[in-house]
Amino acid sequence: MKNWKLKEIVVMSVLSVVFAVVYLAFLPVGKVLVGFFGPIGYDFIFGIWFIVSIIAAYIIRKPGAAFLSETIAATVEVLLGNAVGPMLIISGMIQGLGAEAGFALTRYRRYDLWTLMFAGMMAGVFSFAWGYFQSGFAALAGGYVLLMFISRVLSGALIAGVGGKALSDALAKTGVLSSFALGKEKRKKHAA
Amino acid sequence: MNVSNLTLNYEDREEPVLRDISFSVNEKETVLLLGASGSGKSTLTHCLTGLYPRELEGSMEGRVIFHDKPVADALPGAVSRSIGIVFQDPETQFCMLTVEDEVAFGLENLQVDPEVMEESIDAVLRDVGLQEKKKAKITYLSGGEKQKLALACILVMNPTMIILDEPTANLDPVATEAFVSLLEKLKRTTEVSFFVIEHDLDPWVSMTDRVLMLGRDGRIFYDGPLRGGLQQYAGDLKSEGISMPRVSELALQAGVVGSSIPLTMEELKGRFPIISGDRHKGEGKESLLGAEHVSWKSVLRDVDVSVEKGSFTAVVGPNGSGKTTLCRLLAGITAPSSGEIWHPFGKKERFSHVGYVFQNPEHQFLTDSVWEEVAYSSADHAQVKRMLEWCGLTNHADLHPFRLSQGQKRRLSVATMLVNDQDVLFLDEPTFGQDAASTEHLMKLLEDKHRSGTTIVMITHDMELVDVYATRVIAMKEGQIAYSGDPEELWEEDVEALHLKRPLRVQLESEAYVPQ
Amino acid sequence: MYLNEMNPSVKALTILGLVLVLALLFDPITPLLFTVSVIIITFLFGTFRKKHYLLYLLPFTIFAFGMLWTTIAFADVPKNPGDTVNLIGWEVPREDLLVALSLSFRVLAFATLSLLFMFTTNMVEFLLSLMQQLRLPPKLAYGILAGYRFLPMLKTEFGQIQAAHRVRGLGQESRWKRYRRFAVPLLAGAIRKAERTAVAMESKGFTGSRERTFYRNLSIRKKDWLFPAGMSLLLGVILFLSIHFGYFSWYQGQL
Repeated sequence: MKNWKLKEIVVMSVLSVVFAVVYLAFLPVGKVLVGFFGPIGYDFIFGIWFIVSIIAAYIIRKPGAAFLSETIAATVEVLLGNAVGPMLIISGMIQGLGAEAGFALTRYRRYDLWTLMFAGMMAGVFSFAWGYFQSGFAALAGGYVLLMFISRVLSGALIAGVGGKALSDALAKTGVLSSFALGKEKRKKHAA
Repeated sequence: MNVSNLTLNYEDREEPVLRDISFSVNEKETVLLLGASGSGKSTLTHCLTGLYPRELEGSMEGRVIFHDKPVADALPGAVSRSIGIVFQDPETQFCMLTVEDEVAFGLENLQVDPEVMEESIDAVLRDVGLQEKKKAKITYLSGGEKQKLALACILVMNPTMIILDEPTANLDPVATEAFVSLLEKLKRTTEVSFFVIEHDLDPWVSMTDRVLMLGRDGRIFYDGPLRGGLQQYAGDLKSEGISMPRVSELALQAGVVGSSIPLTMEELKGRFPIISGDRHKGEGKESLLGAEHVSWKSVLRDVDVSVEKGSFTAVVGPNGSGKTTLCRLLAGITAPSSGEIWHPFGKKERFSHVGYVFQNPEHQFLTDSVWEEVAYSSADHAQVKRMLEWCGLTNHADLHPFRLSQGQKRRLSVATMLVNDQDVLFLDEPTFGQDAASTEHLMKLLEDKHRSGTTIVMITHDMELVDVYATRVIAMKEGQIAYSGDPEELWEEDVEALHLKRPLRVQLESEAYVPQ
Repeated sequence: MYLNEMNPSVKALTILGLVLVLALLFDPITPLLFTVSVIIITFLFGTFRKKHYLLYLLPFTIFAFGMLWTTIAFADVPKNPGDTVNLIGWEVPREDLLVALSLSFRVLAFATLSLLFMFTTNMVEFLLSLMQQLRLPPKLAYGILAGYRFLPMLKTEFGQIQAAHRVRGLGQESRWKRYRRFAVPLLAGAIRKAERTAVAMESKGFTGSRERTFYRNLSIRKKDWLFPAGMSLLLGVILFLSIHFGYFSWYQGQL
């Protein structure tokens, strides 16, 4: 925590709180999709539940941002009343670890669109592996599971990766990120 | 504290924000730094506490010495042990949930023994008058109480200097007065020196020992007693965004300054001629829209009121009396719990006839540039261009709306609301926390629109604005209408009961009638 | 009351432990008995607004019941289709019903544990305890606390943006575009406020170092061990009962 500035921590924590609410709001959307398509419904939009780790990491660019933000968001979600209860904190940590692994593989040096999409996909892979053991995908047919896996990973790449980047870039335009890594990078590009 | 030759550049700006600034603050002294918003006042605060150059994106030259040590060499947080700051925004100064925990937070940082903490906390809360609120949640405090709490948090750490960064900018006049008189008491009873940063001079006149005037070019152009500064630079202050005490301004206008410029009512009394009663009376008699037996939750109770066509209506009253709620109901943003709002507009096109400028204009922005923001509501290229010219934002057309200054944001918001020639415009405290120049600019625009027939409804705490611009006034108290009618007649009512102050002109006139 | 006064870290770890054990089990009886006991324990040893608790429990119960019906309705072909139970005039395979009940009660058991914690724990004390007992860095703990304070503020802000957008005549656009128009002012405001809060905290002498004293000292006392001990015992007894009556089984990945 030594090389983190306090404002980075507070901003990360605020982002987590905001997205905890967003995460809760998307649960009913998931349920509707499940109603239409069966268990795979959640996987289509699963990326939304990784988005804070991508956004926090993209804005702050410090090791731990993805993991911590996702963990805090999950904890707040539970405190606000998510039916899954404390188990969700563990799911959150694992998703966060997945995204974190994506950034760690670039040694926290690259934050372009591909890296963000890759981190979103890693979050999908990790969360799917955890889900496989925890929520019983084992009982489902192999082909169906594969389809679920693919949609979750794609959703991670598109919603969390592409969507997270678009939202962060829109925020950077307002100028409020000027003292964070993302804002500084934009300014350098602008100057060049 | 001693500041010498301070020059500061931001990476993304061409001109330095601060240029070659030198001044000192002595023990037990109260120094007031005056300057327009955006003139680098907050930047200077960051330099004084050592936040800059540590977190600065840019370059800084010069030295800030506090108690014989350079501030910049201290560890983050360490300087704060002897310099405390009260910030402008009451919402964002706290990290704990209750009052006592927040006060304790500073003591914990100083590693004070927990055994003695409670005693210090009780003492400091008594000093600022919050002892009743010790266990209260901070969220439920009023703005004024939050600022007092911020002060308590700092006092408890026994600083030798307190910096106040526009501490009353977000408070209403009653809370402002209470806060400043608390500071005056502290000035008498403690050894602390105060460094106050402000653009609005009025409340601070009596407690200030010395003023510094910071120009738009980032230089300090005056350092000395207040009266001298006013006398010397009376003509330049307005363009520098610094507002004079209103008494002084009136005296200047009336040409009764004489050898020394008056700062307070007492000094002006007896010199002032009675201003002729050239006031505009309520011209419109035809009602445009209104409320009948309207209630909303527990905020408004059985309200009957109407807004006259073509009027400039001011809505006044203490905070929490239901001003914003009333305007939102009248504008059709919120639906009443019971009763009826009547208006001549069709249901669907209501918002093409009614505009509403929110307290925080940022909430209304939808796009990524000033131009698009205005164009969002009107496709007509020429009209957008005209609108931007009208509100003086043509040069900023490509900027992101969030990057504008507070005053510019307000004007952009007004522009987006009037681009379709709306019939009514509601404004929620549009001049709050703005410097003299942007207030004047905005009021000019509103006056302009009012002349061309737009009905304007404006919530405000500023009785001088009511006096100059309003043709009608609605005064609220505890969710009900306490007065509705001509402003001139309001001043004859018991305005103190409504937490209002008569405008200076009226005060002086009534003084003039008292046989001496 | 005991639950409100006990050390929050011990409470949280106990609950986490219980959840992990419960996640390994899959039978209807164990979580049912456990859920009922947890509710009783919460009411006996906690002080909180009872009405609020019930209001929170209600959606969980509805969720659990919804799960019950859908699991029965969309279940796989059972191994013993002949073995049915009559459920309010509906012939349901016994096996499916058991799976459905197990799933629903599991959800309720998790939910009641979570509610026990939520309703008897002060968020500030929890974070203080995480710092004092579990060595969470103060920088992170106070950073989280500061962010958590934003919650009510964000709610008001959200309402204001909603109203402000209505006046601008928003509505013809796609859902995603609308989300974005909402998200940007909300997040931009929040980030700016967060930054200011951080500056204010540092201006009160906060350095993030572990060397600080605490106005509220939270320690682990002997009686704090009662909760983990009691809850393990409870779970043990319930497990024994369900094994005894032949309901017990390990979780094998049923959905």
